[in-house]
Amino acid sequence: MFQNTKCKCGHQNPTGTVLCEACGRSLGEEAEADGTELLEMRYDGAARRSQKSNPSLLDRVWNFFSSVKVAVYLIIITLIGASLGTIYPQESTFIDAPDLSSYYKDTYGISGEIYYALGLSHTFESWWFVLLLVMIGTSLVVCSLDRVLPLYRALNKQQIRKHESFLLRQRACYSGTIDADADGWVDRFEAQAKKQHYKVIRKDGALLAEKNRFSRWGPYVNHIGLILFLLAVLARAVPAWQMDEYLTIPEGDTLRIEGTNYYVKNEDFTVEFYSDDVLPKELKGTARVKLYRTDAVMYECTANCTADAKTSQLKEVKRHPIEVNSPLEYKGYKLYQFDFDNTPILRDVKPVLVDKKTGKEYGPFKLSISDPETSYQLGPYQLELRQRFMEFAIGDDGRPVTKSREPKAPAFIFLLHGPGLAEGGEPFIYFPMQKDKAAFSQDKLNAALTDRFDINVKGMDNVNFVEFSTFLNVRKDLAMPYIWIGLAISMIGLTMGAYWHHRRIWVRLDGTRVTIGAHTNKNWFGMRSDLAAALKAAGNEVDPKSLDNGGNRT
Amino acid sequence: MNWLDLSSSAFMAAFFLYCFGFMFYVVAFAGRKWSHGDPERFQRKWGKVAITVSSLGLAGHLVFFFARWIGQGHIPVSNMYEFMTFLGMAVMIAFVIISLIYRRLILGIITLPLVIIIISYASVFPQEVQPLIPALNSIWLKIHVTTAALGEAFLAVGFAAGLLHLLRTVNYSKGADDAKSKKERFWVETTLFMLLVACGFIISVFGFRMAGYEAEFKQEKVDVTQAGEAVTETNTVKYSMPPIVKPYNSTVVKAEEFLGANKPLFEAPSWMNGVNAGRKLNTVIWSLLTGAILYGLLRLLFRKQLGAVIHPMTTDIDPDDLDEISYRAIAIGFPIFTLGALIFAMIWAQIAWSRFWGWDPKEVWALITWLFYSAYLHLRLSRGWHGKRSSWLTVIGFVIIMFTLIGVNLVIAGLHSYAGV
Repeated sequence: MFQNTKCKCGHQNPTGTVLCEACGRSLGEEAEADGTELLEMRYDGAARRSQKSNPSLLDRVWNFFSSVKVAVYLIIITLIGASLGTIYPQESTFIDAPDLSSYYKDTYGISGEIYYALGLSHTFESWWFVLLLVMIGTSLVVCSLDRVLPLYRALNKQQIRKHESFLLRQRACYSGTIDADADGWVDRFEAQAKKQHYKVIRKDGALLAEKNRFSRWGPYVNHIGLILFLLAVLARAVPAWQMDEYLTIPEGDTLRIEGTNYYVKNEDFTVEFYSDDVLPKELKGTARVKLYRTDAVMYECTANCTADAKTSQLKEVKRHPIEVNSPLEYKGYKLYQFDFDNTPILRDVKPVLVDKKTGKEYGPFKLSISDPETSYQLGPYQLELRQRFMEFAIGDDGRPVTKSREPKAPAFIFLLHGPGLAEGGEPFIYFPMQKDKAAFSQDKLNAALTDRFDINVKGMDNVNFVEFSTFLNVRKDLAMPYIWIGLAISMIGLTMGAYWHHRRIWVRLDGTRVTIGAHTNKNWFGMRSDLAAALKAAGNEVDPKSLDNGGNRT
Repeated sequence: MNWLDLSSSAFMAAFFLYCFGFMFYVVAFAGRKWSHGDPERFQRKWGKVAITVSSLGLAGHLVFFFARWIGQGHIPVSNMYEFMTFLGMAVMIAFVIISLIYRRLILGIITLPLVIIIISYASVFPQEVQPLIPALNSIWLKIHVTTAALGEAFLAVGFAAGLLHLLRTVNYSKGADDAKSKKERFWVETTLFMLLVACGFIISVFGFRMAGYEAEFKQEKVDVTQAGEAVTETNTVKYSMPPIVKPYNSTVVKAEEFLGANKPLFEAPSWMNGVNAGRKLNTVIWSLLTGAILYGLLRLLFRKQLGAVIHPMTTDIDPDDLDEISYRAIAIGFPIFTLGALIFAMIWAQIAWSRFWGWDPKEVWALITWLFYSAYLHLRLSRGWHGKRSSWLTVIGFVIIMFTLIGVNLVIAGLHSYAGV
């Protein structure tokens, strides 16, 4: 479309300019029609990059993303998409993922099945959601660049004396007459404006009072912060920048943080509950936790670094009681209190071997659950360890299996050698925990040997178990500083834009006639009272409301 | 008298002062018409009374807050009761700040009932002092919750001004029968009706609580385990309102008689099979019913749309001023909301949960609120959405805020579940 952008005042403006850069007269179709509507003051009427004539393909992409309308659509679509992701729990909320395909169906019925099938169970990791965020990021960059540069130029080379049509079509305007002493009038006007912290420029019978121009940059500063934030979020996809591990450490144990040279010891785990007298009626008798704490020590390995902490040479680097709101921090690693387990874990037992015929006892010997010896010599007898099960069970084929690596139902199969026993030894199965002994009928399994031998523990002193295990979440996230910086910049921009208002007052004198237009990007109420105060000081008292030229009534 | 007793007395005082304050606002604006003397003076005089009484209410509310803080040893924003009372207080504070800037008394006509509804809603939840759980034991509880609530409070005042702007600008004159005016009146009416439903909820809860109503159901839920066995889980569901609907697949254990009926009328549909789903549905029905009765009574009393009742009180306010107040409240609230509900929330989440963002429903809804208001700002600043369109957006925005604060806890839960009952 051809557009004549040469203003009546003779200034040649770039295509897309709404208001003449020089005198402020409006350009384009309605320029001739001497309109009385309010002027469109966005970006001070400057041409934006996206308003180039003859756009190329790149320009078209640019134009697409430079549109605020598109940006608003993107925001709305993201908003709706995000709300869909909150209908049912997301997959990422399960640490021990159940069988997902059936989980949603079983728990939520047919709607759950549809939810899962549509991929809404991982909305926030889905390609379309990430794409939306990337598009919003692009829109932020393009929209800002498209506007901030022309706006900067327009505000930097403002003409002081504006055309009357520009002034009278501002949302706040005034026209009236003054006494013969024009200079005195302007002096008084200027003094009051300065009192209100306006910067005042006077030139050829015209005046421009302006304040808080920096607030115009607020939105763009905010957008820069958001762009940085989004880039930092994308950077978190770099594997080396990220770590998210879970450690289960029984009290007293030291574990290696997988993939690092660091080890963590759980010296002591404490859980405290509120006593009943501080609990309200409806909570009495419930175990309301007051505190979880892991007294943790972090070590760095200096030599012989293996998964086995005992043989590695460790050097203490940090000691910190980890609580829910107080992680241990060391060199970018953070250890969080995540959960705990109070199922007792059997550490070791000190049983004796009993010869039932003679009543004689041999031992006791220390049988470590996780790290047993391969054989124990007890008097004339020898126990040779053949097999160890951490969580004993009978498999489908009738053979013993272990269900997990947690010592929930430990069992040991020994070969018993000694006088009166077969040449290669005879198998004997031993369950250290009384409950398992009964549950799996140890006596039956041992058949004939049951009548001759037994292994048992004399008293609780000979049983050593850990009461608590702490669950720690180990994190490393090198993108975090950039996230915080981005958010801080964004917040500064928001504050600049929201709590300060860019205000300008243009005054034009023609003999004893004065024409004034004022513009602000928000808070017209304040703008009008500023102008009314300056007019009053100069000698023309007006009601602030009378300065209102009509709003953008829709 | 200990601190906690002082606190609850102050709360009652604040509640009644707010109610009287509201009545005086109504007198100032509605009574102007029947005053004999100068209507301007009448309005100024009663306006002053209204401001004084509602400020005293806020003072009482502040006493409640700080006395409870001292009495229980931690800031009272850690459960739904405490949070909602705090939100009510924050709305009052935001209202006072905006009133100081713009000096438009009319805002009180919507803001005070809003505050009254919010704090009565708060009182539905258990009010006993509860000791803090470890997750909440952090300085960020103070910082995050208070800033977020203050931001939301300004956005709520933006809604109040927006609604007033609509009541002012929607055409209520006789003979305005064009489709647009009808539609607008319908939606204003719907908005007012929703506020009455909120009142209906509160009235039903307290009404039946005072009557001591109780009903009990045994609900059976059959689950098929992965091994193919059917497992029956039996839950007892207690109702404190007469059952219009009973939980899905349940039997009555006990139901007191209400208006001669002691049996539920319907059963909740099968997809509402959560333990409390039936009870929540029943509560929703009672709220709607009470709200509808309330609305019907008001309509009988005034014999016109409620919008048409309020509209005349607003006529001498410049609609542009209301539009600007609404926008200004949102422009003030938006950065505070960003700081409190997103940035401080992220900082705390990073410290407590080891990740600054985890797409927890509450987080997502805070983000949705933020996205919505940023859309509002872009539409207003760059697309010229002023006046009515912008006011309708503030109404929608307020619905989103309320869902974020209440709906998420009641319907979705997630990590912020401790803020529930």
